[in-house]
Amino acid sequence: MICDTVAQELEELIAAAAAEEEAAGGEAGAEAADEAVAGGGAEAGAQGEAAGEGEEAAAPPPGTPMLRRTEYRSTGYHVDATVAPAQVAEAAAILDRHQFFIETITGVDWPADRQMEVVYDFKHREELCRVVIRARVDRDDPRLPTISHVFPGANWHERETHDFFGIVFDGHPYLEPLLLPEDADFHPLRKDFSP
Amino acid sequence: MSGYFKELFTGTKSLAVGMGVTIRAFFSPVVTMQYPYETPKIPERFRGHIELVADDEGKPKCVACGMCQRACPSGCITVKGKKREDGGKGKVVSFYRLDFTKCSLCGQCVESCKFDAITFSKEYNLASTRKEDFIYDLLKRLQEKNS
Amino acid sequence: MSVTVTDPNLETFVLNLGPQHPATHGVLRVKLVMDGEYIVSAEPVLGYIHRMQEKMGENRTYAQFLPNPPRLDYLSALSYNLGYVMAVERAAGIEVPERAEYIRVICTELNRVASHLLWHGAFILDLGGFTPLLYAFDDREQILDLLESVTGARLTYCYFRFGGVYNDVDDDFLAGAKAFVKRMRERLPMYHDLVTNNIILIKRLKDIGFISAEMCRKYGATGPVLRGSGVAYDVRKAEPYSVYSEFDFDIPSYPEGDSYARYRVRMDEIAESLRIIEQACDKIPDGPVRAKVPKTLKPPPGDYYHAVEAARGEFGVRIVSDGTTKAYRMKLRSPSYSNLSLFGEACEGMLLADALALMGSLDLVIPEIDR
Ligand code: SF4
Ligand code: SF4
Repeated sequence: MICDTVAQELEELIAAAAAEEEAAGGEAGAEAADEAVAGGGAEAGAQGEAAGEGEEAAAPPPGTPMLRRTEYRSTGYHVDATVAPAQVAEAAAILDRHQFFIETITGVDWPADRQMEVVYDFKHREELCRVVIRARVDRDDPRLPTISHVFPGANWHERETHDFFGIVFDGHPYLEPLLLPEDADFHPLRKDFSP
Repeated sequence: MSGYFKELFTGTKSLAVGMGVTIRAFFSPVVTMQYPYETPKIPERFRGHIELVADDEGKPKCVACGMCQRACPSGCITVKGKKREDGGKGKVVSFYRLDFTKCSLCGQCVESCKFDAITFSKEYNLASTRKEDFIYDLLKRLQEKNS
Repeated sequence: MSVTVTDPNLETFVLNLGPQHPATHGVLRVKLVMDGEYIVSAEPVLGYIHRMQEKMGENRTYAQFLPNPPRLDYLSALSYNLGYVMAVERAAGIEVPERAEYIRVICTELNRVASHLLWHGAFILDLGGFTPLLYAFDDREQILDLLESVTGARLTYCYFRFGGVYNDVDDDFLAGAKAFVKRMRERLPMYHDLVTNNIILIKRLKDIGFISAEMCRKYGATGPVLRGSGVAYDVRKAEPYSVYSEFDFDIPSYPEGDSYARYRVRMDEIAESLRIIEQACDKIPDGPVRAKVPKTLKPPPGDYYHAVEAARGEFGVRIVSDGTTKAYRMKLRSPSYSNLSLFGEACEGMLLADALALMGSLDLVIPEIDR
């Protein structure tokens, strides 16, 4: 129930951003992204489970904004939304409005794609619905807006992600090392890190 | 005002009840075990550091296949083998060292051994200020146990 | 009652609480800006025993990482063991035999009771009462003996395996667990006589350290902290894993949101755990305790998440697999991390002594926060 509502609103958010980008720049890339959104959306609506596993042959490049409904039994979450980095705060605001709580924020390093992924986990307290928000940022200049003004609890999780991956959260009130020593200038969870 | 006196009354009563518990405990049997003078029974499955198992003849069952060494998360085990002296097939263990300082007693090694050649010991009286005291030569240990 | 400091010209000073302080239960440091006895702002400083467990998860095979999660939280180690094995089982699609699930539930619940008992003793110790600790340890010792007889360890268990448990339990253990349930039921009223209804405790905890349900949501607090704010949310009920859906138990919650409510929640949870243990001991079926699992696990590529209810809240494991024998990314979401993050906001304007009571009622375990 709540899952459907949230999935729809997130989908609208993704579509709106794609449309905006197309209107502004009209680049070829934006068009491709738009198509992917439409495709992902239709699929999610038609057969929620099938979308869980296995990428289609012509998968869009990783990090393309789109929304998938995943099968809870095999993955452990219901909605998996990839958004543009600039949109994470808006996506978090949607979940905040629907009374989700923040579970954790983390990163994944993908050196092969020259990208870094930031993963946000949200969960609803009354109904069983887990939502994962992802955003991929450029590995050489990883930055995206903070969501700590929406969820104060994100403060520490973002600091931790900054510690481990070196991802910069713009607008974060206090992006100092939390778990690592205060003078640490290394990011241990990057794949190319060696002590 | 009446609330104040009520609280005074219930509060005093709660303290008296709590004191009653203490007094009862005072006259109940002692549960503390006087450790060096009496020791608890070590359960069958207690996990002490690992040790080699001997076969009927007192020889180690281990064939130095190295599975345990590979399974160990912390690299505690070093095992070396040599050819059998009686000319039979396979190897026998010639060296088995356990670095107990890194062991987390997870049981991966015992589980991975297909020959039931290692098991958990029941050692628990281990204390030392020197690191070397926890690097065991298990083969020697087994021989000492046999003799 | 909370006092809010508004005057900007107040003379304040900085007080370091910890990293070596008995009330922080480990090496946690809290930087406090104080105005006399009142806290103006507080900033927990973490990382003193940070061990980079997540990197270890990437460098070891799935089976080799088994001993690590229980060492995050040494007081309810089996919940962490369970959370990790279940996450890997979900990733690799392993079915667990029923008997093994029951054994897991019995052991985990026993461990939860042990954890709450230790917290009970330590919390009262924080408040200045020494004796309750000794009563709690007497009962906790019974549990440790029981768990030692099946798992072989007393604290940092590594008993659950992918597809089941390390070895089967015997009837002695089940009988022992039932005897413990009986004993603990008889002892619980004593705890209430001795501590819960004690006027001094009530005066120290009631209406102090308020945390609202909304604040819990914004900070992601779970477990007894959340239930003490009136939200009956428990992963065991909200997202039934293992065989928890087979048992009849309640989720205690108290709407007050103060330290006393959190205290009551944990005491009630002990009683509920006893109910689960009793039912599980009665219903446990015969059968194998371990499914056939390939020696080297290679979960299909993908992103998997699994959460369980540990003694302190929701423990989640995220595994990103790339199809090899090692995880590409292993994220451990620990409950106390989120629970502690609200401390700074919750203790503003409180007396220092009350803030320590609030901190104790959060039930922090530092290795789990620092990971
Ligand atoms: S103890 Fe067992 S697993 Fe280890 S080398 Fe000997 S036979 Fe192989
Ligand atoms: S118990 Fe675990 S850590 Fe210890 S030697 Fe065996 S495999 Fe290694």
